[in-house]
Amino acid sequence: MSSALSHLDKLENQSIFIIREAYSQFRDVAMLWSIGKDSTCLLWLVRKAFFDRIPFPCLHIDTGYKFKEIYEFRDKYAKEWNLDLLVARNEEAIAAGMGPDKSKFNCCNELKTVALKQAIAKHGFKALYLGIRRDEHGIRAKERVFSPRDEDFEWDYKNQPPELWDQYKTKAAEEEHIRVHPLLGWREIDIWEYVKRENIPTTSLYFAKNGIRFRSIGCETCCGPVASEADTIDKIVEELKTTNISERSGQAQDKESDYMMQKLRSLGYM
Amino acid sequence: MTDKPKTVIIGTDGVPFEMIEHFAQTGVMPNTARLIADGTFAKMQSSIPEVSSVAWSSMITGANPAEHGIFGFIELHPNSYRMRFPNYNDVKAPTFWDKRDGKSVIINVPSTYPVRPMNGVLISGFVSIDINKSVYPPDLVPTLQSFDYRLDVDARKAHQSMDLFLEDVEATLQGRIKAYRYLWDYCDWNTFMLVFTGTDRLLHFLWSAYEDKNHAHHAAFVDHFRKIDEVVGEIAGKLTDDDLLIMHSDHGFERLDHEVFVNYLLAENGFLQFKQDTDPALENICPDTKAFALDPARIYLNLKGKYPAGNVNPAGAETILDEIEDLFTEFQIDGRKVIRDVYRKADIYTGPYIESAPDLILVANAGFNLKGKIGADALYSKGIFTGKHTQDTAFLLIKGPHNPEKLPNPPKVSDIPAIFM
Ligand SMILES: [Zn+2]
Repeated sequence: MSSALSHLDKLENQSIFIIREAYSQFRDVAMLWSIGKDSTCLLWLVRKAFFDRIPFPCLHIDTGYKFKEIYEFRDKYAKEWNLDLLVARNEEAIAAGMGPDKSKFNCCNELKTVALKQAIAKHGFKALYLGIRRDEHGIRAKERVFSPRDEDFEWDYKNQPPELWDQYKTKAAEEEHIRVHPLLGWREIDIWEYVKRENIPTTSLYFAKNGIRFRSIGCETCCGPVASEADTIDKIVEELKTTNISERSGQAQDKESDYMMQKLRSLGYM
Repeated sequence: MTDKPKTVIIGTDGVPFEMIEHFAQTGVMPNTARLIADGTFAKMQSSIPEVSSVAWSSMITGANPAEHGIFGFIELHPNSYRMRFPNYNDVKAPTFWDKRDGKSVIINVPSTYPVRPMNGVLISGFVSIDINKSVYPPDLVPTLQSFDYRLDVDARKAHQSMDLFLEDVEATLQGRIKAYRYLWDYCDWNTFMLVFTGTDRLLHFLWSAYEDKNHAHHAAFVDHFRKIDEVVGEIAGKLTDDDLLIMHSDHGFERLDHEVFVNYLLAENGFLQFKQDTDPALENICPDTKAFALDPARIYLNLKGKYPAGNVNPAGAETILDEIEDLFTEFQIDGRKVIRDVYRKADIYTGPYIESAPDLILVANAGFNLKGKIGADALYSKGIFTGKHTQDTAFLLIKGPHNPEKLPNPPKVSDIPAIFM
């Protein structure tokens, strides 16, 4: 248990370091808060980093299609934690009736990406904190903690010569914005162990009801539940330990290929 | 439900024209017989090759493989001999439900996994693996599970016991029927598509039971088609004369005499060689290899620059293609010609993805099932399968407002969307 704690302490220290450094370099920053477990963990760390007085806004991209639990959670804790909450909505697209039943591809783009772009332009943010994790998805494998998008080297955040920050800063002028990923090295299970240790509130959607729960949440129309009986944090941690196959990981992809091969073989296609 | 005219499509995977005709005439499929009497009934061409992934991708996009990018169940990773399995993400042309106004409910169409958001309901078909990636909107998953909805018949069971397999075919059909009945009233749709794939599975393993009245599973085979006809009757009964009902298959079927291994013939004639002391696998081919095949009979030149052990120069390509064409044109088993047609890619495909097409595509004569298996231990053999796909005996049945004059003769599987779009 003590080693698990020190593992979490190490992650926490690294993340707080990144959060403070990025703020001292950019100032015009905001953090994206999706209200999910990862970005709420990030928010928790940001509060710790600045002793509960966060010097920048929390930005929620609202598609209008979020679960009602998400809105309730957002409003409750924005108040309780005294957040400078900015809600970004692509009002034009919403007014025009954009939704997942309207056009499958355009919905996410219009309601999320465009809304984010509008908010960045309006407020002139130079950097954004995001709660993404490397183990979330295969395409995240190449993400950097500090990501001026097309840089191609590993960022050793502690041994970074200060000139490099300047280099990033000049880059930031040309690029749209810099993304900062303080949770990149965290795994799904670290998040849950930290949620438990710190007693961080999370929405009820993560806990199993009638044999299903959500492993990640977003728009109600685009999120799928998984079969699960885990209705407490302990059971979720246990579930993650025993399955260890992420729904979206490259590992799952290999398993799918194996199974596809078997299916094709059984019909003589290979 | 609004009163706007609706389009309903019932797909039956692999069912040949002659079988529908036979079951309609012999009273096994009386509802289908009525549709034939009142509508247009035609023999239809499948895609080339006549496998489900290509045929259904062509049907739902109304496009040919060089436009939608699906040439088979298997492709190779770029600059490699490692296999990959294309899925819905690889279908590069829009489907009819992407283009059509209004909501669509699409159940069990092969090549639509993993699903993505669309206007309506999409439950993907073969090859679907994970139920959580097979259903849109995802909140339908628990409902489908409560119907014991199965994504597919588990064909591995046929290799254990035909009784187990038949049980699974039946359970899969019942789950599918429950899902269709539930989704019929789920939303206000314009287009409803329901595909039965148990037919193809039965035809692969039990064509023999169809042909032989004394076969132990003859009754079960016929009964499956009777049940499908009951669903056809149920659906036809819900429609008015202004609604369009289309019933079709993606390819036909016939008796299988021999499985013929294309790579074996290529190897026997020196076009394909494996490194010494290695397993016969594409990863182990030697640089002397001129060509290899992927299932079912898609022949690719081992081109320099395209593959790690590629050694064919573009300048020499045409000569090698001619040699391979001659080899297969002359190829006989038991005094019968095996190959009906040898096509160059430009003969049958047009579109932006033609570069990904095989260099030669073979279509077999009746009874010969061409296979791209690597490492077969004989040129041809007979295994567990008793039926095989056909390219030219799919069927199309249209009842409701349509213009039969506008239908190409013979129609192709990719002509279907034009009937209602
Ligand atoms: Zn088949």
